[in-house]
Amino acid sequence: MPTPYLQMTGVRKRYGGVTALAGADFAAEAGTVHAVLGPNGSGKSTLLKVLTGVVEPDAGEVRLEGRPLRPRGPRDTLEAGISAVYQELSLVEDFTVVDNLVLGVEPRRWGLRDRAQARRIALPWLERFADAFGGRVPADERVLGLDPGERQVVEICKALVRDPRVLVLDEATASLRRRQVEVLFDVVEELREAGVLVLFITHRLAEIRAVCDRATIMRGGTDVTTVTVGELPEQELVELMVGEMAAVGAAPSTAREQVRLEVRDLSGPRVREASFQVRAGEIVGVGGLQGQGQGSLLATLFGAERRHSGTVLVDGREVRPRSPKQAVRSGLAYVPGNRGTQGLALGRPILENMALPSLARRALLGVGLSRRREVEAARSAAGRMATKYGSLDDPVATLSGGNQQKVVVGKWFATEPRVVLMDDPAKGIDVRAKAELFGVVRDLAASGVAVLVSSSDDRELVEVCDRVLVMFEGRVVDDVHGERLTEETLVAAAMRVTGTEVGS
Amino acid sequence: MSAPAPTAAPPPATRRVSRALLATRMPSAATAALLVVAVTASALMQHNFFTPYGLTSNFATILPVATIAVAQTIVVLAGGIDLSIGTIVTLSSVVAVQLMDGDPGRVPLALAAGLATGAACGLLNGLVVAVLRLQPIVATFASSYVFGGLALLVLPTPGGTVPAEITGGYRQVIALLLPVPAVLLLVLWLAWRLLRAHRIGQYLYAVGGNAGASYASAVPVARVRVFSYTAGGTVAALAGIALLANSGSGDPFIGNELTLGSIAALVIGGTRLSGGAGGAGGAILGAIVLTLIQNLVFFAGVPTNARELVNGAIIIVAIALAGLLTARGGTSDGGRGRS
Repeated sequence: MPTPYLQMTGVRKRYGGVTALAGADFAAEAGTVHAVLGPNGSGKSTLLKVLTGVVEPDAGEVRLEGRPLRPRGPRDTLEAGISAVYQELSLVEDFTVVDNLVLGVEPRRWGLRDRAQARRIALPWLERFADAFGGRVPADERVLGLDPGERQVVEICKALVRDPRVLVLDEATASLRRRQVEVLFDVVEELREAGVLVLFITHRLAEIRAVCDRATIMRGGTDVTTVTVGELPEQELVELMVGEMAAVGAAPSTAREQVRLEVRDLSGPRVREASFQVRAGEIVGVGGLQGQGQGSLLATLFGAERRHSGTVLVDGREVRPRSPKQAVRSGLAYVPGNRGTQGLALGRPILENMALPSLARRALLGVGLSRRREVEAARSAAGRMATKYGSLDDPVATLSGGNQQKVVVGKWFATEPRVVLMDDPAKGIDVRAKAELFGVVRDLAASGVAVLVSSSDDRELVEVCDRVLVMFEGRVVDDVHGERLTEETLVAAAMRVTGTEVGS
Repeated sequence: MSAPAPTAAPPPATRRVSRALLATRMPSAATAALLVVAVTASALMQHNFFTPYGLTSNFATILPVATIAVAQTIVVLAGGIDLSIGTIVTLSSVVAVQLMDGDPGRVPLALAAGLATGAACGLLNGLVVAVLRLQPIVATFASSYVFGGLALLVLPTPGGTVPAEITGGYRQVIALLLPVPAVLLLVLWLAWRLLRAHRIGQYLYAVGGNAGASYASAVPVARVRVFSYTAGGTVAALAGIALLANSGSGDPFIGNELTLGSIAALVIGGTRLSGGAGGAGGAILGAIVLTLIQNLVFFAGVPTNARELVNGAIIIVAIALAGLLTARGGTSDGGRGRS
């Protein structure tokens, strides 16, 4: 049997008390699109980070074209012809798109940077992706002015400029619009024809079926099996991905009569005259096209963005939070979408992160803290969320993405909020962690909390929410509920068309 | 179809404010306006301002300040800061003045030794910050005492003689209008443009703008950091030599108080204190504004003792001004900016 193009054997990696990889094996052939699937914390990201040299494995071997590969950093990876696109972007915001594309591989002439040559390298890819930028070629625009989807496309172009033999796409489609995904998949097809190995991590089943040839399923830090995608029925693929747990369907609504949150004519930096109500026990979604003010709406309610006008009532009493602290005091809680920069102190222990928002409640006379009570509070929150951790004293950064997100959500329980605002809480976490996360959201609602949750995934909104507010250019343009609550209506409402004949 | 992460975030308000302050930049128009005001006011108060003598004496004071501001800019652009830069100026100047000792024949050796001293100090700072990963503010504050102490060992009391050829040449006027210090300033700016056109110049901005992204893009981040401090130290040594040429003799405290001025100049010149944006051209303009303001204060009868006070006040006003101007400009570009 010939040796595979890329082969990884016996790869092990531990972070603190958590085993990320427990002797995983992996093999893939050139000229294929190979999906790496599995729940969050299954080690798939870590496996690919070992390949790209971002993570140094404790044991194991990587061979590319039969030659051993020991990358000790991105420079070695670049030399080996491996390019990676991560969800966390590697762009310099102040630089133009072209400067970002050639960063680290600037062409030179007479020892100086050759800007003309840089454009010659970068422009073909930007032109190829012009559709993903709404028809323009933003070569000289600063990354600062691009929206998240466009930045992700720049990131992809940046990997392609490096002319890779192996291209790693780690959740690269999570913040892309449909049109952008289509362009990307066209390019991926071309790369496959050209003999490039494309490794693809995603949680979107449709994407796996659309573009992947093979799929390796990981669970608990090892590879479970490798399958040919076309030969496997969808249901079996889902079962392999999710493991022993079945996906939760729509739960019965727990909404009560009492109005918990009432918003009248709220305007902020990117919100225009939003008016709506959320009842106790109700889960209301905020949907629409990307970047129509959904995040701003939640941040404005929480006092993290300045409110220009409007009234917000919680249980009939007007609240005007001018800071997150005041918002918490008036019964609001906020789960941000960007867990790394907004929701967590990554370097601090899990215990502290869990206990932080509710400290004041337990402090004796406002200052005295008992270690035992802190541990109890953190443990009960972690238990409710089924968070996997080594020790409560480990830094949060040692947890996987899904478990980190659970900490972001879990830490608010102890403050006993009346209204919970969640900004795309499930972005980039896997099916199972998502199901658990939304199970907890359900529990929250059942206890009488009003939940307002934005999401980039229409299916998620349909499954979880009682009602979905559709936003367009900062306004709430539709309130989808009952029979109308389907993915098709949401897409149609988001695009501001009345029919259901939208997109592909 | 999702909500992007909102620009405002829930971390503690004080940290948000301090981070926002570090991220502000003086807009170029504001720098230009300050320059016009400072030059106009100077021309009105110093009747000989636009004579060859007036220009020469002004540029003779501006050049050292501008050079040290450029040195600091190189470090700050890459995301660091060098609080020892004033003592690097001192140490390299006392080394140079001890070696030349009034003998023109030993000038090349002395200059080389001075530059090497500055480079070595910068290299030390760079290694401590980039390899040992100490906080730049703490590390360079500590090393400022090391360099300052060394300077006192090399030259315990003011003294030493700079050959007349150098002090005289420094105050020459070329073609009746171009003072030598102004020409040197131009050369300094051209050298900066050359660096900017080189890969490493681009990497300074990349590392200061987003070190993580730079690392992931195969930019040698640690080496760029070490380079920024070393280059900063070398340029600081040039400032030390300019000070020698201006004053004619050595002084073991000659540059120590210039650190604050270097930071004030680069802020006025539109360089972001958190790195990644700005440039040496702005720093030179900022140094001109700063020096002229200090001269104005002097002409207005404020004692030289109050110069530190004025420097400090100027920094605060400049940062506050930059913050106000950025905040106002930020809302117009769609609120996407991170300022």
